[in-house]
Amino acid sequence: MSRVADLLFANRVWKSVFRHGYPSNPRNRAEVMFQNVFLHIQSVKVFKRSLKVSATFGLGLILAYLFLLLTLTGFLLMFYYVPEVHRAYADMKDLEFAVSFGVVLRNMHRWAAHAMVLFTFLHMARVFFTGAYKAPREFNWVIGIILLIITLFLSLSGYLLPWDQLAYWAITIVSNLIRTTPPADIMGAGASYLVLGGTQIGQNTLIRFYVMHVFGLPAICGLLMVVHFWRIRKDGGLARPDESNIPLR
Amino acid sequence: MAEKQIDNMKSYGLMNLVKGKTPAIQKDPYEMVMSWPHLLFREVVLFLIVLTVIMGMSILFNAPLEEMADPKNTPNPAKAPWYFLGLQEALSWGPPVLGGIVFPTLLAVLLLAVPYLDRTRDGIGVWFHPKRRTVNILFAMGLTFWFGLIIVGTFLRGPSWDFYWFWEAWPVH
Ligand code: HEM
Repeated sequence: MSRVADLLFANRVWKSVFRHGYPSNPRNRAEVMFQNVFLHIQSVKVFKRSLKVSATFGLGLILAYLFLLLTLTGFLLMFYYVPEVHRAYADMKDLEFAVSFGVVLRNMHRWAAHAMVLFTFLHMARVFFTGAYKAPREFNWVIGIILLIITLFLSLSGYLLPWDQLAYWAITIVSNLIRTTPPADIMGAGASYLVLGGTQIGQNTLIRFYVMHVFGLPAICGLLMVVHFWRIRKDGGLARPDESNIPLR
Repeated sequence: MAEKQIDNMKSYGLMNLVKGKTPAIQKDPYEMVMSWPHLLFREVVLFLIVLTVIMGMSILFNAPLEEMADPKNTPNPAKAPWYFLGLQEALSWGPPVLGGIVFPTLLAVLLLAVPYLDRTRDGIGVWFHPKRRTVNILFAMGLTFWFGLIIVGTFLRGPSWDFYWFWEAWPVH
């Protein structure tokens, strides 16, 4: 067994990639967290109590995973969907009836999106009810609220893309709402023109929503998530009861 | 030759980890474990759970797809996605500006300000700490109100945004 392990983990190729042996001893377990750019966003050690299910119910992590799944399924959907008003709806039908596993792909994207909105609220409630927004985590709460708003807009921008009745009229309601921004004839009209790319929903709207949905908003969302995670580490890990004894500032 | 090699090499690195306590004031001794494997294992397991649930749901239930968009055919009622139905419901209560713009803006500002309004140090990292009872009740009321609006908007509003109980049938035509 250890000879197999040696063959796998003690050879030059492995060492050239990871620069340390398999993380089976304390030193290598620390090294893996230091050396790996993806793991380095997390600390080398964690508090035992932060690992308890009841500390977080994993809600934040679930959100990160949903975002990952949405990115992957969204990437695949982009091969089949063209944001053009005469074609978009037909592409949805093709996904359902012509593309292998197209319907499952679309379903995964749709259900993960709904789940993400729901879990953002749950995660926010968890953070509030455990008083985890207090110093030094104030700003991570602020980043969280921005993430919540972006998640809503990500979901909304995707809602138009199938170009069915549900999509069209939902966005109509939202654009009517934007139109009421006071002063309505300047701000409201201007804002809705900006969002729709015209005075009514059409091709310009579809391409605007599409570009925001597949690039603009996910880019901001992903970036803010990285900052959110980095801040958790820099704020000393997850909130712990003994912090209540430390007056801050 | 040997000298040159040393020049190019990092002259420091992690050599070993020593068991012991970290010096800290006013704190209980840290109870910590290595992230690898304790945290990472849990992360992988949770990913598999999330993947399984989403895939399972996607095999069992199809996402909705209605008729193709038709600007000349307005559905009644027309509804926003569920997470905006709270707003759409609030919209129907008074001037649209109040429900649609002022209310959500205030809500967002209030949420952003939470950590700056509550400057106490009570109950950090503790679920429903007794000292936080008032703020917790306020927040719970806020959540209930928000999701209450969503439930009314989703299930209790029919044609022309009229109110119907769950068991009441919507009028035909
Ligand atoms: C939408 C995307 C979001 C993602 C991916 C995300 C992810 C995470 C993760 C992975 C954690 C670590 C602990 C845990 O799993 O609960 C965390 C903690 C935290 N999140 Fe989020 N979050 C998001 C949104 C939010 C929102 C909406 C808020 C609040 C309004 C928020 C505020 C916080 C705070 C303050 C912490 C630190 C909690 C502690 O120290 O106990 N996050 N987040």
